[in-house]
Amino acid sequence: MDIRFSGVSKVFYPDITALEDVYLEIPKGEFVYLVGPTGSGKTTLLRCITREVAPTRGQITVGSFSLRKISRVDLSIFRRDIGIIFQDFCLLPHLNVFENVAFVLEVLGAPPREVKERTGEILDQVNLWRRRFLYPPQLSGGEQQRVAVARAIVNSPSVLLADEPTGNLDLHTAEEIMQLIMSINALGTTVIMATHNQYLVDAFRQRVVGIRSGRVVRDERRGRYNLDGEL
Amino acid sequence: MGSFKYALRDGARLIIRHWGLAFLTIFTSMAVFYLIGASVLLVLNTRHIVDILEGELSIQAYLAPNANYEEAARAVADIGHVTKVVIITQEMALERLKQRLPDRADVLTLLGENPLPSSLEVSIDRADNIESVVMALAAIPLINDIVYAGKLAEKLAKFSSFAGHFSLAMLIVAITASAVVLFNTIRIAVYSKEEEIGIMLLVGATPTFVAMPFVLQGIILGGAGSLGASIFLALSYNGIIARLKDLMPFLPFLESNSVVLELGLILVGAGATVSLIASLIAVETFTRRAMKPL
Repeated sequence: MDIRFSGVSKVFYPDITALEDVYLEIPKGEFVYLVGPTGSGKTTLLRCITREVAPTRGQITVGSFSLRKISRVDLSIFRRDIGIIFQDFCLLPHLNVFENVAFVLEVLGAPPREVKERTGEILDQVNLWRRRFLYPPQLSGGEQQRVAVARAIVNSPSVLLADEPTGNLDLHTAEEIMQLIMSINALGTTVIMATHNQYLVDAFRQRVVGIRSGRVVRDERRGRYNLDGEL
Repeated sequence: MGSFKYALRDGARLIIRHWGLAFLTIFTSMAVFYLIGASVLLVLNTRHIVDILEGELSIQAYLAPNANYEEAARAVADIGHVTKVVIITQEMALERLKQRLPDRADVLTLLGENPLPSSLEVSIDRADNIESVVMALAAIPLINDIVYAGKLAEKLAKFSSFAGHFSLAMLIVAITASAVVLFNTIRIAVYSKEEEIGIMLLVGATPTFVAMPFVLQGIILGGAGSLGASIFLALSYNGIIARLKDLMPFLPFLESNSVVLELGLILVGAGATVSLIASLIAVETFTRRAMKPL
């Protein structure tokens, strides 16, 4: 799915400008890093794509969906094609690893056999099959994030949004997660990843969109995290 | 099918997770629906008694000497709420008296010329119309005197009307109370799963899918409460009626088991419906807000 921001601004009450006049085009299958200081608007931009945040001005289109006016039913259908990875994992503590991943397919109404098979495949892919009966608090940070990745991709979304997915992880684990996300992108999934991790951005070179004070300040095809002291 | 299974499993989990609250909700709706059922039975019984007494209710209008029966009967039949007029001639009145006093036939022969007046036996549709019919009868010059069981009929009619209004008020208050309790129970359950619902909505679950376990939870709680109330009502009704019959043997109470059974089914249906509506409002309010973008 292509993603297009056309003159998008977002002002939170009373007058906090989170995004200002953002124009951005992300073709299907692309990998994009969103970089910028804390509070620059990266998360708001991601949340605009899931329509948790509605722009004050401008248009956002994702594939055939125009997000300005979308019904609740269409929003549910649209969100089924978006996978989300959060910095703090957002796993459900009372469900085990298998249930946390299977949950997505269950809420989408998949038949029980498909839920079982697909969840098994994904847990195998993220090397968590052996840990499937453990609960989130029994897992390391890296394992929890791998569960979060598995949950985000179990329904094969066209777009994967990752908000600081390596923020709480050590470098080695962060690299593992990064490899996993790159492999998902290689299968054709569009990935937009907000990150502060300079090492990863420079090691896995992809398109870099720099944001400062809600504005897109640079957009480079195979960029680096920090260029000449600038973002 | 998978969705329904999920909703059923999750609905059961919600009840188990909040078992204390579930128990309180069932108990409250049971008490509420028992009160509703009891007040409905009170109304049904008073209506039944009034209907039977009304069936037996008649006004005796005694005619003036030499009055024309037919003319008087036509005038009475034209009065509103009069359902039947029977002419009782002097001879018929004497015959009735003889039948009522079979052992005193000899005394009646001493009367010589028949002293009993001719009369009209007037039946009316409802007890609370008796006053207006009596006033209309008094205005007919052919009628000399009027005798009727006015006070009892009036009191019964007034009580029946009061019971009807009281029951309706009780119904509204009780159903509102039950709906509020169920609404709050479901709302607490919804808030306890706030994070889970947030993730469900983000991954594309429809609001209907999200609502299903909560609605099922509500229907199970409300249905169980009203079912319990119906069972208690059925068990207690016959005992209460037996006591009342001892105290007031002259009143014809409703003793049909089918009435209690029908009422029980209506109560269970009403309980499930109230729960359905209360749960839907509780979940819908939440999901609408959760899906609204910032």
